[in-house]
Amino acid sequence: MKKLYVIIMLPLVFLAAAVQAEIRLDGFMQGLYGGRLDENNPTATEMTASETRLQLRAEHLGENAEFFARLDFVHDMSDTARYDWELREGFLKFRLGKAFDFKIGRQILTWGTGDLIFINDVFAKDYRSFFAGRDDQYLKAPQDALRMAVYPGFGELSLVWTPRFEPNRLPTGRNLSYYNPFLGRIVGEGYYFDPPPPEAKFENGEFAAQFSRQMGNFNTALYFYKGFYKNPMGAEMTPDGPMPVYPHLHVYGASLRGSTLGGILWLEGGYFDSRDDQYGDKALMPNSQVFGLFGFERQVATNLTANIQWQADVITNYDKYEAGQIAMGAYVRDEWRHLLTTRMTRLLNSELVKLSGFLFYSPTDEDAYARASLEYKYTDEVTITMGGNFFEGKHPATDFGQFQYNDNVYLKVTYGF
Amino acid sequence: MRNFYLQPLRGLMLLALALMLAPAVSAQDAVELMKQAHLKLYYAGDDGKAEVVMHLIDKGGKERLREFTMLRIDNADGGDQKYYTYFKKPSDVSRLSFMVHKSADGNDSRWIYVPAVDLVKPISADDKNSSFVGSDFTYEDVSGRHWSEDKHTLKDANGKLDGKDVYVIESVPVKEYKGFARKVSYIDKALMIPLKEEYFDKKGEMVRIFRADKIQDIEGITTVTSRSIENVKKGSRTVVEFTGIDYNLGLTDELFTERFLKNPPREYIQ
Repeated sequence: MKKLYVIIMLPLVFLAAAVQAEIRLDGFMQGLYGGRLDENNPTATEMTASETRLQLRAEHLGENAEFFARLDFVHDMSDTARYDWELREGFLKFRLGKAFDFKIGRQILTWGTGDLIFINDVFAKDYRSFFAGRDDQYLKAPQDALRMAVYPGFGELSLVWTPRFEPNRLPTGRNLSYYNPFLGRIVGEGYYFDPPPPEAKFENGEFAAQFSRQMGNFNTALYFYKGFYKNPMGAEMTPDGPMPVYPHLHVYGASLRGSTLGGILWLEGGYFDSRDDQYGDKALMPNSQVFGLFGFERQVATNLTANIQWQADVITNYDKYEAGQIAMGAYVRDEWRHLLTTRMTRLLNSELVKLSGFLFYSPTDEDAYARASLEYKYTDEVTITMGGNFFEGKHPATDFGQFQYNDNVYLKVTYGF
Repeated sequence: MRNFYLQPLRGLMLLALALMLAPAVSAQDAVELMKQAHLKLYYAGDDGKAEVVMHLIDKGGKERLREFTMLRIDNADGGDQKYYTYFKKPSDVSRLSFMVHKSADGNDSRWIYVPAVDLVKPISADDKNSSFVGSDFTYEDVSGRHWSEDKHTLKDANGKLDGKDVYVIESVPVKEYKGFARKVSYIDKALMIPLKEEYFDKKGEMVRIFRADKIQDIEGITTVTSRSIENVKKGSRTVVEFTGIDYNLGLTDELFTERFLKNPPREYIQ
């Protein structure tokens, strides 16, 4: 009851505050309904989504600083009905002198060049939302962070400190099933628990840095990350058996993106340094990896844009990785992994209709994931979207193979104000 | 006999000379007129700011709105320009910012910033003939088509349009262009502003009409504060209204970089 009270009161408090100060308010109301297509899915419910969402955005522009908040209220009835709310963004932004920009508070963070492929962007993602048909903005989960950008005149240096580690949000088995490595099979609800986050200590904060510089047609950047794997990639032995953990991670990388050959070309590389497994011999910890990405996008016809991407990654101590996986009876991936993607976006009827398709395919993991959607802007306020998510996989342990029972279609209606 | 022979020859020579000179002179005039009109319409002041409301009206009369703030800086008159657009409405694009670096050589660059995902993305800008935010205006209609891309002919130096004295100029793309095959401009003689432009396709059918619907003096600069494009074929039209216009604000190139794309300059954009 107490929670319900909070849910009802918060928007009212929000509105009252908005009237008091010069706060600009807008947002949207949205219904999202999705169902699974595969009867074998061991999830708790057949609904991949059934929710009503209210997003309120508030903005205040002061003399020397600006404030922005994005607050979501959700009534989710895909299984047992539940109310939920989340502050998706709530930050203060200001400029100091001529060369410093600050953004402090709960915020969405993105950098890097990939299209739905992330190498140096080690910021939190929300795959529960991504696979269920929520808007693209929900792929990114917020982080409580301090961000500083410095402009010394020859580029931009961005520093992001996230005092408390923010993990990725992964399917839990309620609406979407996933592969449980300890059980060696795809599971539904009942097996999921949030792995313990790293202790709240100063040295367990996440630190990310980017230096970027425009060089001719190309934007070039260097990246560094010190923190943890965003997925619970490792395990620790406890008296109760193996427990999933977020292992220490450093990432070093670089990227380049710009217009050439009548389109946009991007290249990105990164070294994932697994700090808890420096020699690759710890079977319960992830091995270090090197990633490379190539992408190209161009407008192939009026109102038709297409892109292709190729990502390759290699395990640095493959022999030891392979021995470890075999000893545990776990899935052994290839030393080199390739992932090919393509996106097609077609705008029709004066951009009122948007047809969009995105395909991931890995020839080495032998799995695939397709996203398709049809969006119609009925009026400036009302948008109707139909879409689907489709997974294929030969092995239940691969990135997309583990979601093979989650094929779903959805309908979404949004009213913006 | 000699005279009899020479008379027509001289006449013929004069005619040939006239034929050689006339198009040259009038083409020269036409180019100069189009250049002046282009600079007046797209390069007013050294920089500028406006609040823009676009009314997108479809065949059935259904209206949609796009509201944004626009900043512009000219690096050279008739040359490079930079545009900054900050969207306010509708709700699904509010706070989105968009930037174009228009290059005189035709290789424009475009970027978009989507604040909800903190994403800066360059956009492949191959097609200048594609629609600007779903309206009847193309990217080229927003920032102008350089006069050197077309061949101009003065069709009528003493034309009339709605009682105003106009130059009627016909323009044909130098290189084949899918946007139009022929354009007829009616340029107000006193203001040197195109009051109307008719676009024709390859078959000679009129496809689009541009109109300067309202012209005002703002800070001493003749400004088209309401303009429209009618898509004759589709039966739709878009009316663009400019308010809060300000020129020569002292904008700098720095504002048109990724830094300010992510952090809209609040001195100009509220």
